[in-house]
Amino acid sequence: MILRRPVFWLILVFAALMAFIPFHANDVSMREDLILVALAVILASNLNLMIGYTGYVNFGHIVFYGLGGYVGLYLATVRNWNLVLAALAAGLVVSLFALALGMGILRLRGAYFALATIGVLLAVQSFVANFDPWGRSTGMYVDFSAYQRLGGARHALWMTYFLVIGVMALSMILSLGIKISKFGLGLFAIREDEDAAVVLGVNTTVFKAIIYSVSAFLPAVAGALMFYKNGMIDPSIAFEFMLSLEGIVMLMLGGKGTVVGAALGGGLYEKLRSYLLTSPKLSNFQLVIAGALLLLVVLFAPGGLIGWLYRLVPRARKVIE
Amino acid sequence: MKRLVLPIFLVVALFVTTGFAQNLTLGFTVSNTGALNVDSVEQLHGFELWRDQVNAAGGIKAGGKSYKIQFVSYDDESNTKRVQQLYSRMVLQDKADFLFSPYSSSLTATAAIVTEQYEKIMLTTGAAEGKTYTLGNHYLFQMFTPGAEYLKGVLDMLKTKDPKAAVAFVYEDASFSVAVVNPAKEYAQKLGFNVAFSEAYAPNTTDFSAIIDKVIASKSTVLLGGGHYADGSTLARQVYSHKVPLKMITLLVAPDSPQWGELGDAAVGVIVPSQWEPQTTFKAQYGPSGADFAKAYTAKYNTPPSYESAGGYASGLILQRAIEQAGSIDTAKVAAALNATDITTFYGRSKFATEANQHGLQVGHAMVLAQWQKDKSGKLVKQVVWPLAAKSANLVYPIH
Repeated sequence: MILRRPVFWLILVFAALMAFIPFHANDVSMREDLILVALAVILASNLNLMIGYTGYVNFGHIVFYGLGGYVGLYLATVRNWNLVLAALAAGLVVSLFALALGMGILRLRGAYFALATIGVLLAVQSFVANFDPWGRSTGMYVDFSAYQRLGGARHALWMTYFLVIGVMALSMILSLGIKISKFGLGLFAIREDEDAAVVLGVNTTVFKAIIYSVSAFLPAVAGALMFYKNGMIDPSIAFEFMLSLEGIVMLMLGGKGTVVGAALGGGLYEKLRSYLLTSPKLSNFQLVIAGALLLLVVLFAPGGLIGWLYRLVPRARKVIE
Repeated sequence: MKRLVLPIFLVVALFVTTGFAQNLTLGFTVSNTGALNVDSVEQLHGFELWRDQVNAAGGIKAGGKSYKIQFVSYDDESNTKRVQQLYSRMVLQDKADFLFSPYSSSLTATAAIVTEQYEKIMLTTGAAEGKTYTLGNHYLFQMFTPGAEYLKGVLDMLKTKDPKAAVAFVYEDASFSVAVVNPAKEYAQKLGFNVAFSEAYAPNTTDFSAIIDKVIASKSTVLLGGGHYADGSTLARQVYSHKVPLKMITLLVAPDSPQWGELGDAAVGVIVPSQWEPQTTFKAQYGPSGADFAKAYTAKYNTPPSYESAGGYASGLILQRAIEQAGSIDTAKVAAALNATDITTFYGRSKFATEANQHGLQVGHAMVLAQWQKDKSGKLVKQVVWPLAAKSANLVYPIH
């Protein structure tokens, strides 16, 4: 039972605090920082389902986020849908797309799969850049009156924030749920030895396609919310390869294959980048410092922060999953 | 005690007459890293020169007070992701009184919602895309002529020289160039030109030979398009090496850079629509003359100003004038002064649309066309060729 897991309650408390503290203090600046932290946690947690649980490196994970942004923005602004419905629909559409795609490309393994995911990213970006209803390469803009419908820009941005925090909590709960399920065991079997998993009766193609599709849902919902908040979307910002790579870095930093590790890595990485960027003394060296720190982690704590914690306090495994 | 009265009186009188110097904080992001770095830093230099000159003269004087300008800025990494975070931070934590935009249309569009949220004025420069202004803003004021106007001047000029020209559009498939070319295509057809060919190329394209073959096959005599520096310079070089029989080449943005001259013969005759050129001689009703600005800029940065730099400086100037007119730094009063602005500075005329459906759109500023020509000594220089009233040399047409 997921309810008996301490981590489940930890996630809820963590999300509630993240939602409550900036709202209570009416601190918009803190909110803007935290929404990027939440986004990092969402991307890292869902990427973890593929890389950490299944052992498939997805370099094009950001394609789900960008496509979700496009579908969501199209429904919310052109079709005038309610934001929540538009975001959910975006998640659903992108998941189905991932399922169909996954059945094809997940027959590849290792480096070939990783290459195919980059191909998917580039192909989708080219398609969107030539797709008329989505504004081709100029993209789509949110009319300011759309925020008025949600009670003005201030109110609308707070609402988007709470929704993103909700998606973040769901991402972590989803990771936990899958980890403790039979389905999750099937995924771990694939990660350890795919051929052995087949022999044991795991339908690997279906399992992989399902997890690929599941890992697309929440990032797509987050994409719809984030680009709505952003006010515009165009192919260059929706499908940014760099953000895909950053997701992988976050995962390595926190510890892949663990629920808390993915979230911790995402959160810490974002906080670190944001601190370095705005620090008056360090801002000129921010990329150098971030790079050096990551190198240290990879060299001396290859299991990430959680792996390091497990080694230090083996009992922590039981509580921090 | 009596001996102290006079000095105290003098000190108080001095403060009353000059006003206490207060600080005025201006916030903006700069692309210190990433693809927009060169243009963004040129814009920053424009802001900085303005700040230094104003502060050296005692600050902005308004309502009996004088305000020293201080900047707060962060690196946006040429990326929209952090723009809202950084602008919110500048408004809330750094207490910025006014904002300047980042460089580029998409970064500015992302920052725009922050101005609406906190009711802060933002002068936008380096952002020509016009769509942002149609979304219902109240606090944006655009310094650049909107993208839709970029190629109109070229077509008007072409109409006077060669109304039967066959026009080819070859342009980068990115938001700025598409926003420029689409209205230009319609305008070309309206003027009765034959649009013989039109194709967008992917950003980062390095091999244009297939497109160039199509341009030759279409028998086009004029090529309009381009995008940014890397693709524009490559396109010009390859058009030259393929010996395409063109009478006119006009490219966006890239030929404005002083580096363009390094292309040698491929650079000759290429025209660029420009927001401002050092040769333009607008009679400044406010602020320095163009020559003074260019001289001070060159002395400080050892390079002539580009139009991004001029836009940066002019943004400061227009804001300064609005604060002086308003006699206050109150947002509503300064916004009203900006809405009423119609002034010519060294940068040309500035006037903002006040209708709700396009508030802040630049409607007063006109672009000029600059052409790379060889001077008497054979050196490549940029000359203003249009509008005729502002020209520094005659248009070379056809170029070959």
